[in-house]
Amino acid sequence: MTELPGQTATPTDANGQDAGDQDASSSSLGTESGIDLDDALIRVEGLRFTRGEREIFSGIELKVPRGKITAIMGPSGTGKTTLLKLIGGQLTPSAGRVEIAGQHVHGLSRRELFRMRRRMGMLFQSGALFSDLSVFENVAFPLRVHTDLPDAMIRDIVLIKLESVGLRGARELMPAELSGGMTRRVALARAIALDPDLIMYDEPFAGQDPISMGVLVNLIRRLNDALDMTALVVSHDIKETLTIADYVYVIADGKVMAQGTPAELNADADPRVAQFIHGKPDGPVPFHYPAPDFEGDILDGRESSAESSGRRQSS
Amino acid sequence: MSALNRGLLGSITSLGRSSIEVIAAVGRAGILLVQAGIGIPSREGIGLWVRQMHFVGVLSLAIVLVSGLFIGMVLALQGYTILVGFGAEEALGQMVSLSLLRELAPVVAALLFAGRAGSALTAEIGLMKATEQLTSMEMIGVDPLKRIVAPRLWAGFVSLPLLTIGFSVVGIWGGKLVGVDWLGIYEGAYWSSMQSNVDFIGDVMNGVVKSLVFGLVVSWIAVFQGYDLIPTSEGISRATTRTVVYSSLAVLGLDFVLTAVMFGDIG
Ligand SMILES: Nc1ncnc2c1ncn2[C@@H]1O[C@H](COP(=O)(O)OP(=O)(O)O)[C@@H](O)[C@H]1O
Ligand SMILES: [Mg+2]
Repeated sequence: MTELPGQTATPTDANGQDAGDQDASSSSLGTESGIDLDDALIRVEGLRFTRGEREIFSGIELKVPRGKITAIMGPSGTGKTTLLKLIGGQLTPSAGRVEIAGQHVHGLSRRELFRMRRRMGMLFQSGALFSDLSVFENVAFPLRVHTDLPDAMIRDIVLIKLESVGLRGARELMPAELSGGMTRRVALARAIALDPDLIMYDEPFAGQDPISMGVLVNLIRRLNDALDMTALVVSHDIKETLTIADYVYVIADGKVMAQGTPAELNADADPRVAQFIHGKPDGPVPFHYPAPDFEGDILDGRESSAESSGRRQSS
Repeated sequence: MSALNRGLLGSITSLGRSSIEVIAAVGRAGILLVQAGIGIPSREGIGLWVRQMHFVGVLSLAIVLVSGLFIGMVLALQGYTILVGFGAEEALGQMVSLSLLRELAPVVAALLFAGRAGSALTAEIGLMKATEQLTSMEMIGVDPLKRIVAPRLWAGFVSLPLLTIGFSVVGIWGGKLVGVDWLGIYEGAYWSSMQSNVDFIGDVMNGVVKSLVFGLVVSWIAVFQGYDLIPTSEGISRATTRTVVYSSLAVLGLDFVLTAVMFGDIG
């Protein structure tokens, strides 16, 4: 078991180079479609991260182009949320580097890190609104703590942000009174309150009804166009994500499996990529969390429950 | 033989592992105390602290005062039956006030405080952690140690001594109710035995010092348990229990140590 990191190291290194090669080829392709990977706001190099004994990332390489919408896709449990937390400096990688606008995120002091985060917004999967503050105060929170704006101005900004997510009328409600989709939209308004340079969305489409899904897709696109924000969308909703993304990374098994513009990925011949992009249930990418053989597992369970019920009867 | 060895080795291993875990937790708690407790409060920070004084202090007032009343009354009743045997029932005021000021008020108020306010602090911070409110605050660029933990820590530290003083006052008054109004001791004797035998520094201030220490320890345990818990519903319930158990043990243990230091040379 202790040899595991050593064993995975070799294939990973090979794959890291692989990703590098792909990178070079796709950036030349990318220039044609207006994506310049050299003008990157975020650079992730050789990122490794382990949880317990499980290596979640074994050498991730990616660049998030400035002013574009970049998507990171992958099956659930591959570590997409973890990746966002690594980029935001909440988790520390075991190796590798994350740079945002030239700053080495994990080399910053706690103070510098908090200062850097004012320039980024993050939309959590659960919304994570402050439960003791009203919708209005939730959106006003970043403004109150980071600016000295007068109350009237804060009020205007908050109402503009709430209007843009369609919830100006809900400003007096408390978070407990909102539906899941509304919570997510208020959280979005809060994330953009300070007009950040970078906004990270964790599963923005998960659990949304078709209408709010459409609203959100438009909203993300519009924010990006109007405010020139760099957006990083993490999602397993392939269809919606491909419609808004300018550039896409697919991660699986702790590495970048494929990258390119949506058109490039749609045309990708790699069976693993095709399986994921076209949502086929069967293929080379396993859908299951690592587990022992299914049949054996069930029979084992039967034997032991038979044993225990036998024991219960005899006692 | 080898089975015995393995059993022994296993228990040594697990002992070692849990010792390391305890030391690591104490280390994390220390870091939390330094990062949350030290720093110049902003005007906003003072507002947050006042708000927490309400939740932590004012809302614990009722249970603390009612308990203080009953404990003072019981002390007077018990003390009277003993003192009257020596014809010394005039000393009841002294007995009630010294028991309360030195011992019962700091300790009982701290235990009640751990159950009422400490557990609530742990659950509140834990729920914020479980619903990612702390994480999202960090991502907004606000340190939850300063904004969430610090006001609660300081509110606990300041409010327990005040609650303890309230406990003593009400307890002494409860002793008077029983001793003077019910059992018929001369009221002048009740107050004057107190006046001439209670030392401000030696008794009152020592009690306050005790309650400051307990206030710090209980609030520290409570916020740390909340901040450090595993963010699931089971994690929250366990941490809440741990807060009450650890605080109670810490209060009783520290009370012995402090009493030995403060009053050890008297007897
Ligand atoms: N706090 C945690 N402690 C231990 N393991 C975790 C924790 N959070 C996530 N994981 C594990 O890390 C892996 C990646 O999780 P996550 O980043 O949430 O995946 P995704 O967002 O892609 O669905 C999962 O296998 C999960 O079991
Ligand atoms: Mg996730």
